[in-house]
Amino acid sequence: MNKYFTAFIILVLSFFYIFFSNDSGGGRVFVNLLTFAGIYGLAAIGINVHFGWTGLLNFGHAAFMGIGAYTTVLLIPHSLGREGVVISTGLPLPLAIILGLIASALLGLLLGLPTLRLRGDYLAIVTIAAAEIFRLLVRDFEDLTGGVYGIIQFSDSLQNSRPDFITQFSENYNISSAQLWVGLLTWFSIVFVLIILARLKKSPWGRALRAVREDEDAVRALGKNAVLLKLQSFMLGAAIGGLSGIFLVFNYGTVQASTFVPVLTFYVWAALILGGVGSLGGPALGAVIFWVIIAGTDTISRFLFESPDGQQLAGVRFVIVGLLIMFCMIFKPSGILGDKEELLLDVK
Amino acid sequence: MSNSILSVKSLKKRFGGLEAVNVDSFELYEGEITSLIGPNGAGKTTFFDLITRFQSADSGSIFLNEKNVTKLNSYKLARLGMVRTFQLTRVFDRMSVYENMKFAGSSIKNEGFLKSLIQTKTLKQQEDHLNVKIDETLKLLNLIEMKDSYARELSGGQKKLLELGRSLMKNPKILLLDEPLAGVNPKLSEELLEIILNLNSQGINILMVEHNIDAVMKISKRVVVMAEGKIISDGKPDFVRSDQKVIEAYLGSSDD
Repeated sequence: MNKYFTAFIILVLSFFYIFFSNDSGGGRVFVNLLTFAGIYGLAAIGINVHFGWTGLLNFGHAAFMGIGAYTTVLLIPHSLGREGVVISTGLPLPLAIILGLIASALLGLLLGLPTLRLRGDYLAIVTIAAAEIFRLLVRDFEDLTGGVYGIIQFSDSLQNSRPDFITQFSENYNISSAQLWVGLLTWFSIVFVLIILARLKKSPWGRALRAVREDEDAVRALGKNAVLLKLQSFMLGAAIGGLSGIFLVFNYGTVQASTFVPVLTFYVWAALILGGVGSLGGPALGAVIFWVIIAGTDTISRFLFESPDGQQLAGVRFVIVGLLIMFCMIFKPSGILGDKEELLLDVK
Repeated sequence: MSNSILSVKSLKKRFGGLEAVNVDSFELYEGEITSLIGPNGAGKTTFFDLITRFQSADSGSIFLNEKNVTKLNSYKLARLGMVRTFQLTRVFDRMSVYENMKFAGSSIKNEGFLKSLIQTKTLKQQEDHLNVKIDETLKLLNLIEMKDSYARELSGGQKKLLELGRSLMKNPKILLLDEPLAGVNPKLSEELLEIILNLNSQGINILMVEHNIDAVMKISKRVVVMAEGKIISDGKPDFVRSDQKVIEAYLGSSDD
């Protein structure tokens, strides 16, 4: 069966499920799901540049998402911390977002410079550690980041740009207009990022990254600077992660130290693996599937427990996501949109 | 005697207690095919790694065309025209033969991030221009029919050919071949030797490590023998063949 056909069937079934399994307004759940799927999909696209294209193991994506989000949010008007200190001046949002992306890329540079010269596993270890360090720093530097109380009231910068017809549309269909706007912008960004990446993938640069993934020594023997290529790839993926982090916090409307926990990174990895490592659109598709499963666990939990509480729901969620990844690894190890050739993926 | 293009002085490398390479002086002369032979563990590949800067020497210096390259990065050295292959073939498995070749030939400028993003007309022209040379080289190596196959689908011998072809895309001045005939069947070996001679006549200097003594004696102008990290004999094939020290190194010392 054609893999695109499979992907199509899965998407249709997912949408069907979302609309008809919820009695509390299909539209609202649909928008919520698609927004989260878009955000996770964008993050997974970032990891795909690292892992799928270049063979870099990044287990600290939450840090790249986080630093982009915090930089952007702190540069626009917001309220901070326990007392809710209001900071009413700030940069225009587009500029703040660009600076946020630069901050993410710079963190990539900072982590990459010492580790990309070493074997692949070292990068994995350093990124895991960096993500935790980032989270703890955010928690402890309460004056700057609001710590566990976080930052609130920054959404206006984005929501002010919402066109009237979207507000109108949301009211007609009983959807959260703020979330619809974030969701739409996220999916527009995905399209934009994928167009750029499709161009890069075919370019000499993209080919050079693949060569680095295959064999770094051979790349060096042919007179190419493998470390520079890895660094560029690492910074690009980090910036894409930063963008998804920015959308994530605008979707929540708040950001705390607990927003960027390690499990976020691994959910994003799950989306990437389900969708297919190395393919362009795979990560976004994987994220949709991932979020349908997350939503689906509510229904399944109702069969298992009479009135499931949060803890039981979370448990079922983990079990199902884990099972699905296991099935995926057994029956379709390359993911839904992945290439069979990706099976031999090894890390340099 | 012709000009020296690569010159090595008192190059040393130790691995713990083992003196892997200890070469007082080594010169590579313009226009020759030079072979490096020696028993297993003699330090030939380490010596290769040292002069291509894939490993750093403990001490000593390397000059390429009288330029001191002792501290240069391996990829910069390759840009100066000294291109190597590997004992265990390193092709880009999940790229096609064509892509393997094209990556090798593509200029570093065009592989720049911004250039690749903007994709100017000249970039496309330069990339297309490579195709002629790729076809030419693949024909020379009898790989043209495999052009669109994945590199990992090639046989061991064909991978050796592809690695050689990739190096040729760099227009090397010096080609360092690490066991080009290992695992290659006799017929393909003949062809490969033919190709190597042909390349040499086009002005590419060749230094190769090889265990196939017959082949080495046949095509080399000069043979260098290493044992226990040191160069023990150096000269024309006939001279080396009858050198007592070489026979001892291969067969064991007569004192034993």
